[in-house]
Amino acid sequence: MTRRRIILIVIILGSWEAVCRFNIVVPLLLASPSEIIGALIQSWPEYLVALRFTVAEIAVALAVAWSLGIVTGTAAGMIPFLGAAIGPILVSLFAVPLITWYPLFMVWFGIGMTSKIVYAVVSGFFPIAINTMNGVRGLDHRYFLFGQAIGCSRRQVIFRILLPMAMPSIVSGLRIGTALIVIAVIVAEMLASLGGIGYVISYYRSIYATPHVYLGILFALACALLANWGLGILERRFMHWRELQIGDR
Amino acid sequence: MTSARPIVIETRGLGKIFSIDRAPIIALQDISFTVQEGGFVSLVGPSGCGKSTLLQMLAGLVPSTAGQVLVDGLILREPAPDKISVMFQDATLLPWKRVAENIEFPLEIGGMNAADRRDRAAAMLSLVGLTEFAARYPHELSGGMRQRISIARALAPDPRILLMDEPFGALDEQTRIKMGHELLRIWSRTGKTIFFITHSLTEALFLSDVVLVMSHRPGKIVDVIVAGLPRPRTYDIIGSAEFGAARNRIWKLISQDDDTDASEGMASL
Repeated sequence: MTRRRIILIVIILGSWEAVCRFNIVVPLLLASPSEIIGALIQSWPEYLVALRFTVAEIAVALAVAWSLGIVTGTAAGMIPFLGAAIGPILVSLFAVPLITWYPLFMVWFGIGMTSKIVYAVVSGFFPIAINTMNGVRGLDHRYFLFGQAIGCSRRQVIFRILLPMAMPSIVSGLRIGTALIVIAVIVAEMLASLGGIGYVISYYRSIYATPHVYLGILFALACALLANWGLGILERRFMHWRELQIGDR
Repeated sequence: MTSARPIVIETRGLGKIFSIDRAPIIALQDISFTVQEGGFVSLVGPSGCGKSTLLQMLAGLVPSTAGQVLVDGLILREPAPDKISVMFQDATLLPWKRVAENIEFPLEIGGMNAADRRDRAAAMLSLVGLTEFAARYPHELSGGMRQRISIARALAPDPRILLMDEPFGALDEQTRIKMGHELLRIWSRTGKTIFFITHSLTEALFLSDVVLVMSHRPGKIVDVIVAGLPRPRTYDIIGSAEFGAARNRIWKLISQDDDTDASEGMASL
């Protein structure tokens, strides 16, 4: 399996390199793998600085969006009055193309990291809150009664029963939210910023340094993979029983 | 029926009024009955008549709008997990916990230490005959087994009262009959007081000493049937003349109620 995969990768990289070497595609459009590696060797410290910038923004945005989203969603799911009030607002705001807000965020929070973080939090918050709300709302009311009957405090009902029950739904919200946060940070950096992977991509594009643009894209991909990996750990930690269940069918 | 046994549960003029869109709906009205220590009392009635609400009031989960629930002579105002356990139609097991952990969960909430919890869970598993499934997850078990685990979990804190809300309602006929036998066996071994809700008249008569018959809107106790069938019970009893007579009597009460319900429905149209 792994061996086949390696062979496949070698074939793809080889043909990619060949396409570039024989000038089948204009170099401005497609950089060859060797050129991209060259770009990495040439200016890796610059990318490292940019990566730290971007990873920091993503990390802060994830922490804020996850906690805000889960807390809001749980409250809206548990309290019917609140759910009726904010549920529709959450759903309709999620449908708005949030990028339209970014210029405004820049005016409010400046060109630095804050505007990226705010924009990313707003992007990731809605799917997390909506999924958590639906997850908690969809729970069998009897689990709540069961918790009360065995003497759980309100806190215990929430943390020991309701949230774990709603975990499959919450995690799918986190998946969507996390992906959107990574996208939001990089797009925001590309539009206007002082640093980060998106900034580097945008800068090199403007000076037609195609290999660097591709290298930047690879780093952006790395950010997404990193976030996904973290999510995977969380999923395994909380969802092992779910996987068993699915594997069983 | 030995009348010398003390009364464990008593309701006095219990009532519940819901308001839906500001219109009051009388769900339960003037419910008064008693359950003796170690007794097995069933409650039957048409669906939607407020059986579950009544059970939740007996558990201290839902406040009444009139009257009182007394447990051991004291007014019940909140859940009393040390005295009363509740079982639902769905086993409400926690899917991410193994069977033994599920049984331990109420004990953990109650503050029992880990070693005692483990012993207690093992004892309960052996009581319901599922010792070898301790390390399984609920979804790996059949519906009947899940309900047996649910019984084990309910009995783990050693409550005196077991309130069961249509516990076998979702099971197939065969499993249901087996579960009934199983419950009677556990009941006779543990001496718990059981209050059992069902929509099956056969099940109610087969299991209990006393059957309370409830009407629909307002939910009232319309009759108390003490069939006096001999114990231990075997499946043959269901074919007996006494059983049939008692069953018919309950059926008449309930179907009458259905008629009035239908005419009420017409009137409101």
